[in-house]
Amino acid sequence: MIPLRVAIDPFPISEPLVIRLQNDGPSEEGTARAFHRGQGFVEYDVCGLSLTVRTPDPDALDGDVVMILPGQRSLHRLIRNGSPHNTFLVTEQCDQKCVMCSQPPKAHHVDLFDPFFEAALLAPYGTTIGISGGEPALHKSRLFDFLLRVQERRPDIEFHILTNGQHFDKNDEPVLQRLDRTRILWGIPCYSASPETHDDVVAKAGAFETLERNIALLGRNGHRIELRTVVLNANVNGLADLSLYVTTHHPHISFWAIMQLESIGYGRQNWGREFFDSSQNFNPIAAGVDIAGIRGLETVLYNFPLCTVPEQYRRFCANSISDWKQKYLPTCSDCSAINRCTGFFEWYPEKRGFSSVGAL
Amino acid sequence: MKVWPLKFREHDHGELLFTNDAGGFFRSDQRFLDRYVDDTLTDEDFEFLRRHGHAYRDTRDAAFDGFCGRWARRINPVSKLNYFILIPTLRCNLSCDYCQVSRAPETASGFDWNDEILRQFLGSLSMLDTETIKVEFQGGEPLLRLDILEEVREFCRNNFQQAEFVVCTNLQSVSEEAWEFLGAADTFISTSFDGVEEVHRSQRTKDSVVHSEFWSNLQRAFSEFGTAKASALPTLDVHNLPEPESVIRSFVELGLRSIYLRRVNYQGFARKRYDFKDTQGAWMQFYRRFVGCLIEHNWENDDSVEEYYLSHLLRRIFRTGIQNHVDLRNPNWLGYDYLVVDFDGKYYPTDEARMVSRIGRMDLSIGDVDSGIDARKRDVLNSAASNFDDPDCIHCVFQAYCGPDVIDDLSRYGRIDIPRHETAHCQHHTALFDFAFELIYSEDPKVHRSLGHWLGTPIYRTELAARLK
Repeated sequence: MIPLRVAIDPFPISEPLVIRLQNDGPSEEGTARAFHRGQGFVEYDVCGLSLTVRTPDPDALDGDVVMILPGQRSLHRLIRNGSPHNTFLVTEQCDQKCVMCSQPPKAHHVDLFDPFFEAALLAPYGTTIGISGGEPALHKSRLFDFLLRVQERRPDIEFHILTNGQHFDKNDEPVLQRLDRTRILWGIPCYSASPETHDDVVAKAGAFETLERNIALLGRNGHRIELRTVVLNANVNGLADLSLYVTTHHPHISFWAIMQLESIGYGRQNWGREFFDSSQNFNPIAAGVDIAGIRGLETVLYNFPLCTVPEQYRRFCANSISDWKQKYLPTCSDCSAINRCTGFFEWYPEKRGFSSVGAL
Repeated sequence: MKVWPLKFREHDHGELLFTNDAGGFFRSDQRFLDRYVDDTLTDEDFEFLRRHGHAYRDTRDAAFDGFCGRWARRINPVSKLNYFILIPTLRCNLSCDYCQVSRAPETASGFDWNDEILRQFLGSLSMLDTETIKVEFQGGEPLLRLDILEEVREFCRNNFQQAEFVVCTNLQSVSEEAWEFLGAADTFISTSFDGVEEVHRSQRTKDSVVHSEFWSNLQRAFSEFGTAKASALPTLDVHNLPEPESVIRSFVELGLRSIYLRRVNYQGFARKRYDFKDTQGAWMQFYRRFVGCLIEHNWENDDSVEEYYLSHLLRRIFRTGIQNHVDLRNPNWLGYDYLVVDFDGKYYPTDEARMVSRIGRMDLSIGDVDSGIDARKRDVLNSAASNFDDPDCIHCVFQAYCGPDVIDDLSRYGRIDIPRHETAHCQHHTALFDFAFELIYSEDPKVHRSLGHWLGTPIYRTELAARLK
């Protein structure tokens, strides 16, 4: 597993600090150059102050944009150099309590949009930044403001924003029109075409009704939407219906991600009840994929190891598990498809997982 | 609840096919039709209609936006000019039965682009507002003017970010220089192969020496370049139809999985002799038999084969935004995104418009490389480019999937305002759409297997063939 936080020695700051770590090269504004390497640590020059980072592998940090918060003994690797998986967690608050949530909500909120803005300015050209939570749109005006500020200074940066789609309304239309729609992809979950099932999964009455209105609102304003559906025992038999529903009522959707469950957070608590063993029965998922395909909606299967998917559906699988939490099983070492395969989550419970896994 | 206007048509087994303007469809029966007409729809009717995109609660309902989105996505927008069909020469080294007007003898003079036309054409390219370009070389036989092909290709490669070339050749006489030209990664071969050797020979090559030259070039094209670069189209004469099985076998042997059945498009005198209305029945009978053979083939084999136009119609039925085939789209804008440049430098909106003009029926040219596009004439042609307000099309159950063909109407009838259902284009497409919907509602697993292949998905799903009981 790739660490996203790295230990540091106490560092005297009163405001969040965002810098890019660099092994060598010229010191520019916003960068900190390594000036001393010791056994298990490296020291960076931050405007004349020494920042000591405790790491056995300082080269891995070269080029990273990191954030240090006052009083914390670790730094956050916000934008890892060369990684396509960089996410800003803008809040841990959420108004839904989805049964599979990997990041269960917390009540407390710290606003980090300003350091995130600085980090975005330091990002490599063309970086895609994930925005996640919690529910980012709970802080909608700060979020929009952040997006507009970044797009003004760094029009090359793309955003993939995960939102439950509950917090938009008609008054947002002027801002939605000002945002660069070619560089934003909204990732919005929808679990079922049945309002009752969807509301149960997200534990919020009326969520489906708001969701379908807001998907239409974003679509009407020309925004790109990735619809996301985690496969659960609660919704798997409704995937064909959901596919019909989406292709009929939401033609604005750019593509549909059908995702396997991640065993962390509530997903771990509810694993026994909700994990659907698609290696045993792929039919309900296949029906969703086929209907969408015939109607011209592109589907992508996230978090499905190739060996758990029938051969003719493997072309829909994406290498979706982020590098820092991706692993392969011992049996994978003999697999000829390992380079194309997403593998497993670091916390995948092998004993309670897919019944049929094996090298291809 | 409000219901979007429904159109209907009787289908096989007495069922009725209902469609709306956004392309949604379902089957039901006379009793539903009565309830719809009498305004006595039940709650179950409304529930079904909303679920399938035919009704909405109010304008804030997602079902309303969904309908609008699907409707809008079916419209073919005007797009930038980036596709040219060039006739660098009208001369040809074959004289096929049905090619009376689009060729001149190989030795004739005055049927090639001269230096001035070439210079003016390249000059017009440099003024285009596009970064990608596609050029199709037709004829005549374009390989007779390899020098022009070379010059156009070189110019495009140097002046556009992305350029693609198709050489529509009869592969009759291919020099080593020509093979080298065809071998480039950005250059594709489109040839004619009339389904089976005997038919091809009787219609095109005739002489056995000539035929064996073609045959060895055809084999060379496919063995050397494969189907990623080479394709073949059959032209079939309804009076000389081959056996479907042997056509499929011949194409599969070449590695081709897509067969586009085109019937001979007679012009002038020959059109009177082989009248459309006398041959349409025989053609559709053959077409259905051919597709039936494809379905059998696909049931028995893994190397599935399609009839290109049927797949295209199926995609237009199920999906929105399918505008990649210029012969069927709505509106079918003429003279905007692609142009034909004839041997004399004149612009035509389509290849058929060029032929109609050539036989002297009417002049459908819309400018030339010297003076540019004749915008006034183009506007006149485009005044009937869409079927949205055609007094007959608006009642047609297939309107959302279809598109007008102004040039075909002009070429056959000399006018565009005769009742739509009396035109060849309408009769032919009505028959094709009827057939497509029969397949969509078929309960035969063999049909389902082929539909899956043709629509590019592992398994066809009958949930898409909705029925309101």
